[in-house]
Amino acid sequence: MLAAGGAFCGAAPPELSVIQILNFSQQPAWDAPWRFEPVQRSMGSGFVIKGKRIMTNAHVVSWARQILVRRYQDPRPYVAQVEFISHECDLAVLTVEDPDFFDNLPALEFGDLPKVRSTVVTYGYPAGGEEISYTRGVVSRIERQTYAHTALRQFLAVQTDAAINPGNSGGPVIQEDHVVGVAFQGLQGLENSGFFIPPPVISHFLSDILDGKVDGVPRIGIQVASMLNPAYRAWLKLPDNHLGVRIDRVLPFCEEEALKEEDVIFRIGSFPVATDGTILFEGNRVAAGLAFQLAQASESVPVQVWRDGQELNLTVPTRACDKDAAAGFQYDVLPRYFIHGGLVFTPLSLNYLRAVGVDPADPSRRELVYELRFRPSEDPANARSEPIVLAAVLPHRVNANWTMAGRALVDQINGVRIDKLDDVIRAFEGNREPYDSVEFIPNHSLECIAREGLAEANAEIMKDYGIPNDRRL
Amino acid sequence: MRTHGIFFLILAAATCGFWETPAQAATTRWEDSIVTLDVARKDYDFRQPWNTRTRSTTKTGVVVGEHEILTTADELFDRTLVRIQKGGGGEWWAGQVAWIDYHANLAVITADSNAFWQGLRPVQFGSATKDKNWRIARWRQGNLEVRQAEFTVFAVRLAELSDVNYVTLGCDSDIQGLRGGEPILANNHCVGLVTSQSGRSCVATPASMIEFILKARRANTYHGLGYFHWIWQPAVNTDSLRRFQLTGPPRGVIVIDVPARRDGVEQVVKPGDVILQVAGFDVDTVGNYRDPEFGLIMLENLSTRKRCAGDEVPLKILRDGKELEVSYRLPKYEYNLSLVPAARYDREPEFFSVGGLVFQPLDREFLETWGADWQKNAPMRLSYYHGQPVTERPALVVLSQVLPDPYNTGYQEQRYLVVDKVNGTLISRVQQIQEALKHPVNGFHIIEYMRGDSLQRMVLRAGAVESEATERTLKRYGIPQAFRFTPDSAQ
Repeated sequence: MLAAGGAFCGAAPPELSVIQILNFSQQPAWDAPWRFEPVQRSMGSGFVIKGKRIMTNAHVVSWARQILVRRYQDPRPYVAQVEFISHECDLAVLTVEDPDFFDNLPALEFGDLPKVRSTVVTYGYPAGGEEISYTRGVVSRIERQTYAHTALRQFLAVQTDAAINPGNSGGPVIQEDHVVGVAFQGLQGLENSGFFIPPPVISHFLSDILDGKVDGVPRIGIQVASMLNPAYRAWLKLPDNHLGVRIDRVLPFCEEEALKEEDVIFRIGSFPVATDGTILFEGNRVAAGLAFQLAQASESVPVQVWRDGQELNLTVPTRACDKDAAAGFQYDVLPRYFIHGGLVFTPLSLNYLRAVGVDPADPSRRELVYELRFRPSEDPANARSEPIVLAAVLPHRVNANWTMAGRALVDQINGVRIDKLDDVIRAFEGNREPYDSVEFIPNHSLECIAREGLAEANAEIMKDYGIPNDRRL
Repeated sequence: MRTHGIFFLILAAATCGFWETPAQAATTRWEDSIVTLDVARKDYDFRQPWNTRTRSTTKTGVVVGEHEILTTADELFDRTLVRIQKGGGGEWWAGQVAWIDYHANLAVITADSNAFWQGLRPVQFGSATKDKNWRIARWRQGNLEVRQAEFTVFAVRLAELSDVNYVTLGCDSDIQGLRGGEPILANNHCVGLVTSQSGRSCVATPASMIEFILKARRANTYHGLGYFHWIWQPAVNTDSLRRFQLTGPPRGVIVIDVPARRDGVEQVVKPGDVILQVAGFDVDTVGNYRDPEFGLIMLENLSTRKRCAGDEVPLKILRDGKELEVSYRLPKYEYNLSLVPAARYDREPEFFSVGGLVFQPLDREFLETWGADWQKNAPMRLSYYHGQPVTERPALVVLSQVLPDPYNTGYQEQRYLVVDKVNGTLISRVQQIQEALKHPVNGFHIIEYMRGDSLQRMVLRAGAVESEATERTLKRYGIPQAFRFTPDSAQ
């Protein structure tokens, strides 16, 4: 049992410690990255944990301009701040400026991973209600799920038929007076069900921040395949031990040198790995990748593999890796950009694609999607570390003839291959020819702009469009 | 009075789109030119390529010469029977396809029986002009159906059955259910042949193009449609034109990509060239020229206007600030120009099944099994290959499905994986897999797939267990044969 609590040991009802959170947030406009969207007001839930902190979901407090928290049946708002936030785990802890806020608020204790078919109760302030809400449900299943906040990674999650609605997010899921989860998401098309973040993920986050920073969850850059086919087992001369998952591919980012393609992993830490790529974790069959996620970044994990016909015991160092962060939703980091003659360049990201309404299935935008999601792993030799898009064109007489409206992937500028935003600046600022030329992907479509008068025009454009700076790097 | 009465009836039919029966109408030249075609053909299931259904279509043709009926090539592929009927009823006569060109979407049908041709006479072609009252005619339920058609646009667009661009006639009409081959008539002349219909909008191939192709075919000088094997972009951005040292008023388009030609002919056009004139016509900055018949239309039409593959097209280009005149030999359009072939007509679909693994060519027909909106609905990793140029690998093979069997345990849920190598051999044709499997590695088959977010490698047993599994899966899943290859599939 995790000992997150301590200040409170009595039998006070959990609702005393359930907090209503009001977030006034403001996101940047990803297609006009110097600008901000209107302030949004959203509500969520949280709960008091040890150390005069409030735990909630990252998505409840993302892009916060001001966070107000309210206690149970107390109308007074208190100002809170994010102390630590993990977007990949969708967890955050808050502190409150007024220390009196925590008076008589017991810290909730964490429990263990609940059993399938056991009963849990969710607490929170769903649907904008002022009064706390309770819903009871059964633990339906426990497995790894994609955490929708970044839409990039999978962690352990618990499915329950207790109603989890907007506003419930961040609220505690209670079983026998202990927190066994943080309510966080639903799934479209799945009725009467919601998901909560279970204790292993919560405890990993709380341990991670003990050193005063968020390092993240380790990531091993491998793609595995089941070893259910007897021919493959015979080809690799595997013992008949009903164990092992094969490394089908080592991913080009987050390289892991200790592990190699065609290694068959028998054991990760103390977990035997079954031929379908699962481990038995507290009575639940879950994907073996969980075994690496239990470690803290930079810790090593003992791994037993079969390589070249023999068993090897390896020590695999783990590390967090966010090289593909742009392929998921990003938060609390302002988009970088550079403006030249009214041409706005910014890194390609999922946030950008969503902002401009690009449908990933739209064939006319296939190159953008391929460059962001597929090329880094499929064609690493030609992948760019930070693909750049022409995000928009700010109309001005210097670009009056420019025809490419935006949403186009940049290949070269003045003959310089564009791998990252710095290259854009270097290519423009290093040009001595009378015209700047920009080539796009695919098919090398090309646009030019005369350099004469560009410096003056840049200043006018900044002024006309109220842009404080021509770049954010 | 009688004459006036007949005139009145004809006028009413023409303006209101009523049915016009032969008994009521005055005899016209074109009425005796229109015939009905009934085509039965094989309709392949590209998800289960061993399955074939039969499909029947009724369409229209027009007599264009002695024992020659012209219609569109659409629905004539994979045919098993062509029947012809004249006068809107009566006997069906056996027809044969004398000539077919899927690129141009035209076909010539003939019939052996002299009796069939009695009373039929060739239609007269005429030039399409915007201000004419057009009509569309066909036989339907024993009557000649004639409906008004209102001109909408002359536009260069992709052909129905190929990726060749040429000019089309656009018109709106109340007529419904056109299947292709119906003549568009103006002033008793055929000005176009309908190729497709969507709602009220009809598209047709203009008579001038048809006449050129038919004449060239009769003279044995038609070698298929040609095209411009380069990619250009509009030059509306005058800064771009100045960057390429164009002086004077803005004009021309900029060549941005010139893939290598398949016929080995050296490309006379280079990236960065500004195309100023094609075939003597000035090209404007959006890529249009002023056609004497159709007005302002896209320059692509000049690859098919009174020309076919192998013909020379004079170009005036601007290169490095100097105007040059070059002659461009039109390459012949082929369906396999792209990594994903555009079509394979009159050939049964290929497949190869081994141990329950089914391999098929990755072609447009396979992608179209995801429906008309396949570019959105097909898996991105497959549709992405569409439009990609051919490199050292001329085509792709996909693992389309795995029919579950103990032999392929663990792989049953794999599908839509593009094959890279089998037992070390690079794969671009289905038949190559069969060949590669004859050379197992130490008693195993190693099948490698292109990088993706799915499986990269499979290993299977070779030998008797493989043969038994193939036999077992064929029997269990009702597949009549383990493979089907077309003659050039091993190329």
